[in-house]
Amino acid sequence: MTKSASCGPAILTEPVDNRWVFGALRLWIDPEKTPTVGRTPDYRFSLANERTFLAWIRTGLALIAGGLGVAQFLPPLPVPHLREIMAIVLLVLGGLVALRAVDHWARTERAMRLGQELPGSRFPAVLAVAVALGAVALIVAVLIQAAG
Amino acid sequence: MTELWTPDHGAAAERTRLAWRRTVLSASVVGLLAARPAFHPDAGPREWVTAALSALGWTVLVALAYRRARGLGRRPPHPGRRTIAAYALTTIALAVLASSVVML
Repeated sequence: MTKSASCGPAILTEPVDNRWVFGALRLWIDPEKTPTVGRTPDYRFSLANERTFLAWIRTGLALIAGGLGVAQFLPPLPVPHLREIMAIVLLVLGGLVALRAVDHWARTERAMRLGQELPGSRFPAVLAVAVALGAVALIVAVLIQAAG
Repeated sequence: MTELWTPDHGAAAERTRLAWRRTVLSASVVGLLAARPAFHPDAGPREWVTAALSALGWTVLVALAYRRARGLGRRPPHPGRRTIAAYALTTIALAVLASSVVML
């Protein structure tokens, strides 16, 4: 899967979906029927796409569980509202991961039906960088607290 | 298509069914954590409503996954469609619910 081909919002560039305000939503709900395009791919490809979606949903659920855990189990931190901010960031990130999971699933399903190149995505890299930055920030916070 | 069915050599349907099961386990962790504040001694109506809503979301996630796992038993399996969008939207709803609880 190359990254160069279709990193942009494919939904917005395709004339068929432009007519619909909820084009993306329609694509999510029924990627086969909006409109009936291409031909049904080998079911194994569809199921592989579905498992990829489920792996992302689990990632999102894990982030949501992390946010709930931070809100419920962390003691109040020296910086006011820092605990709440951390929880909200994790929860929003989890929701974003779920949103992106269904969008990517629908676009992949459509590309497979049309025999096009599968959509690439920068999202995994962005998420990895965000998680790494969060970890670094927490390490710094722990070190400052240990020193002071 | 149906008469030319060959055995599921790659175990694609089986692996997808197990992926749904794993996802239900993750959803259960979220459901339990979201309902936990309702069991605190000082819990009030706010905690009860939150717990009820998250239990509802958890029920939807379990039911959808169960139905999809059963559907995968068909030969050949049909690709998932509305179930997947519904699953993602329910997950997002849980995230929104939990965020509003933390913010309020």
